[in-house]
Amino acid sequence: MIVKKYFSTFLAGTLLATGFVSVAQAGKSDDTLNVAIDRELESIDNYYNTAREGIVISRMVWDGLLYRDPKTNEYLPNLATSYKWVDSKTIEFDLRKGVKFHNGEKFDADDVVFTLNYLADPANGAKPARNVNWWKNAEKLGEYKVQLNLKKEFPAALEFLSGPVVMYPNDYYSKAGPEGMALKPVGTGPYQVTSVEPGKRYKFKKYDGYHANSPKGSASIGNIVMRTIAESNTQLAELFSGGIDWIWKVKPDQAKRIAAQGAFTTKNSSTMRIGYLNFDAMGRHSKNPMNDVRVRRAIAHAIDREGIVKALVQGESMVVNSLCFPSQFGCAQDIKSYDYNPEKAKKLLAEAGYPNGFETPFLAYRNRDFAEAMINNLNAVGITTKFEYLKYAAFRDKVQDGGAPFNFGTWGSYSINDVSAITSHFQSGGKDDYSKDPEVIKQLGIGDTSVDPAVRKAAYKAALSRISEEVFMFPLWSYNTWYAFSKDVDFNPTPDEIPRFFTAKWL
Amino acid sequence: MLYYTLKRLGLAGLVALTVSFISFGLLYISSDPAIAMAGETASDADIEAIRQLYGFDRPILVQYFDWLQRAISGDLGKSYYFRTDVSVLIAERLSTTMTLGVSAITFAIVLSVPLGVAAAIRPNSVIDRIALFLSVMGQALPSFWFALMLIVFLSVSLRVLPTSGSDTWQHFIMPTIVLGYYAAPAIMRLTRTGMLEVLSTDYIRTARAKGLRPRVVLFKHALRNAVIPVVSLTAVQFGFMLGGSIVVETIFALHGAGFLAWESITRNDLPTVQGLILVFSLFYIVLTFFADLLNAWLDPRIRIN
Amino acid sequence: MPEINDKTLESQTKSSVFRRRVFGHQGVIIGAAIVLAAVLIALSAPLIAPHDPYSQDLLNRLVPPVWDSRGSWEHILGTDHLGRDYLSRLIYGARISLLIGVGAALISGLIGTVLGVAAGYFGGRVDMVVTFMITVRLSMPVVLVALAVVAIVGGSLQVVIMVLGFLLWDRFAVVMRSSTLQIRSMDYVAAAQAVGCSTTRILTTEIMPNVVNNLIVIATLEIAHAIILEAALSFLGLGVQPPLPSWGLMVSEGKDMMLFEPWLITIPGVALFLLVLAINLLGDGARDITAPENRN
Repeated sequence: MIVKKYFSTFLAGTLLATGFVSVAQAGKSDDTLNVAIDRELESIDNYYNTAREGIVISRMVWDGLLYRDPKTNEYLPNLATSYKWVDSKTIEFDLRKGVKFHNGEKFDADDVVFTLNYLADPANGAKPARNVNWWKNAEKLGEYKVQLNLKKEFPAALEFLSGPVVMYPNDYYSKAGPEGMALKPVGTGPYQVTSVEPGKRYKFKKYDGYHANSPKGSASIGNIVMRTIAESNTQLAELFSGGIDWIWKVKPDQAKRIAAQGAFTTKNSSTMRIGYLNFDAMGRHSKNPMNDVRVRRAIAHAIDREGIVKALVQGESMVVNSLCFPSQFGCAQDIKSYDYNPEKAKKLLAEAGYPNGFETPFLAYRNRDFAEAMINNLNAVGITTKFEYLKYAAFRDKVQDGGAPFNFGTWGSYSINDVSAITSHFQSGGKDDYSKDPEVIKQLGIGDTSVDPAVRKAAYKAALSRISEEVFMFPLWSYNTWYAFSKDVDFNPTPDEIPRFFTAKWL
Repeated sequence: MLYYTLKRLGLAGLVALTVSFISFGLLYISSDPAIAMAGETASDADIEAIRQLYGFDRPILVQYFDWLQRAISGDLGKSYYFRTDVSVLIAERLSTTMTLGVSAITFAIVLSVPLGVAAAIRPNSVIDRIALFLSVMGQALPSFWFALMLIVFLSVSLRVLPTSGSDTWQHFIMPTIVLGYYAAPAIMRLTRTGMLEVLSTDYIRTARAKGLRPRVVLFKHALRNAVIPVVSLTAVQFGFMLGGSIVVETIFALHGAGFLAWESITRNDLPTVQGLILVFSLFYIVLTFFADLLNAWLDPRIRIN
Repeated sequence: MPEINDKTLESQTKSSVFRRRVFGHQGVIIGAAIVLAAVLIALSAPLIAPHDPYSQDLLNRLVPPVWDSRGSWEHILGTDHLGRDYLSRLIYGARISLLIGVGAALISGLIGTVLGVAAGYFGGRVDMVVTFMITVRLSMPVVLVALAVVAIVGGSLQVVIMVLGFLLWDRFAVVMRSSTLQIRSMDYVAAAQAVGCSTTRILTTEIMPNVVNNLIVIATLEIAHAIILEAALSFLGLGVQPPLPSWGLMVSEGKDMMLFEPWLITIPGVALFLLVLAINLLGDGARDITAPENRN
């Protein structure tokens, strides 16, 4: 390994590790997969955390009524064996019999009704609110039959019911509540939680009583240990020394070299996250050059997106021209796009009255090097920047307060495969909206509430076209994730960036 | 002595108050607590509701005294991020940081004081040069580099120590070295300088002329005097280490109070940050208080008149 | 135990004695030479740097230095993650590191010495107030203050120097205070007071010369400390902002490649190390040289 080579000069003889230290339950020999994550989770209760890792754990420990197949995007029956749209605002579900929770509680309509009504009450503060605030209540129709009443027509209903909305045990949750669930989670999923050290380490064991015929299949790896290791080099060191078997979000330059070493398996997969530039088109922050559409178009032509993707973003990423990820429902691709053309950019700037460019504040919270490359592109056409690089919380606050006339952000849509999860978030007149264009808001509104797929597609296309025409926001590229893991592991990433350990196996 | 103690205690309380007020103010300036509490996906209405409900729209002074009142009775509030009691959260994490801090300062003292004394006794000798070199290394090496190099060498290549985590005492070996090494140079150099000066004073020459054994001269008289600024500095270094522990705790995945402090600051988790600052400053005050007491005992001339 | 003898000097002129001391002292020579070199490099940066330190070349990222098989003479020390020439960045970085170190140390030295000496000499209420300020300052997490300042004012070189200057005075104050306390109770100070010398005179002729040794030691430590602290702040994203080529920032930017392309950290790390070493040698030497002069 390169690491060993680097230190060959220091290593005189061989100092074998004596039984001085017990290497953590190591991989295949202990049927334990050691996984590293890079942040502290606030809670592993599915409804009280917003981290991606929380989503990963959620799929392991709990089940929803339906389950979206990550390859085909079909909605398959899970805890509900069938469903029926009674009318455009009511769904009926038949529930699966014979399912038991990790603590032995029987799964039936009471659990579903309890969970859905608990979540529908805003006082309970489930987050993110958009996952659960679209239904009114649930009614029990029989021991294994439930009816869900929506507040209004909500086309993404099935998308949410097949992912983020999972079923909790009513007896347990009404006694333990979120605090109890965070320390001792109970669900019906393929893995059960055996130990919780909040923010530090979580241990999981295969649940032998998992219901057969689940679309998730049945888990193969017996034990999983998930540890928080914030520093990326430490994660790599743990991987190299065998303390950890699986890591993700590896930086592309690191992944390339790990792949070249050949001691570990590396895989890359696209994700639904896209990067974008947001402009103060309406003058929400101030009177500034971004108010002028010619300036925004100039910037669109000034950024060498292809070059940045090839050199910096790498992996399976690609340039995107529509403010959404291509696989998302409604993400029209046949709209106006902007080519990399610095000359045209300079001409547009001169037309707008800035022949010598101008200086602008520029805000970002991640991918500092991508931002620097873009700044370089801007400098080439005469635009200089006062660059501010903040932590996400500070960035979000500043943007939502109207303090950022020009910023670079990203959005992962919480892996919801629908344009409503991204475009509507940014351009429906909300806190992140710096254009508040009435036409766009109207079209997005139609798309968000109609249940006719054709109507939705047309409306979203209209909105996306206008956004592109006026460059209210400028889509940059899609993101990708690198995974690196031990050669003993057979793991396949999915494009929704939710690693499914219940499909992983030992080789 | 009693008057001195009382005076110091009064001062201590004032310090804690000032620090907590300043940090309260700084936190409020750098973030909006309503947004922090509501979370990233809350709507404007949600945020307004929270602002009203928790009284974030009241003047800063009022909010501060409200916090202070509850803090005095032991209620540090609930973390915006974890939703658990801040006092419980801090208590959990503090034991790791304390273990680390105490081992590190002990390591630093055991390493630097003898080295400083030896260097002073033989100025410009090999040992003096080595001491200087080590002290510069300790300052000029970025601690994260040193930490990661140790990991690669001891954990990945040689496999004698675990890489990260806090399960066993072996897990604390590398972090102690890194953190302690960082504090060592200042202690070593000050010891050396102090010893050099003291050793050449008339006072010491007299003692030697009187025929006292060199060892007696060294320890009873010289070291005792030379060490005075060192004692103060050690207290300062220990406090400083609580800040330096952020890097060490991050790299070695020791989930201590330093790591919690940094993460809470970046997450705008105000109650947790406030609680941590209060605990740190109280701890700090106690430390400098004992350092001053020690100094006063070592050199009666220093006792405040 | 070694003998400690009085040094008996032959009668010579003060300046020739001084000159002999300076040039006879190895440490001072080496230290001064390195610092001088750093200053010269910093001043002549536009003349000697082979490339523009800000110019990016995305097609030539992470090129290793010339001694590696993949390197070339086009970029003697290789390129960074955005394809910028590392040697040029190193050269321009000398300016930034020196500015930060000296600037911060000057500000903090001034604040700390004034406070510390005042506290040590006047005692009483002055001492109480200064001790109070020191304790408050030490209990404040540097990180929090830096973060708040950056959030309000934004990050820039001047801001970083000010922040470091206003945060690093504590060691000056603590050490100056305890040294002054010791000196104050010495016979010769009592004598000066008895004779009726003014406070100013006592401070300048009796106190300051005797604490200046410690001051020099702490000042050299703090210049180095400021430079290193900037690197730590860069690690947390609160130091000098890119694309400025501060050595500290170069080290933290190279961190992700540490296990694969270690030269990204080693090169600016060695530069930092040499500068800090030189400053320390200079400070030590200065103390050694001036010390005997100050004995009564």
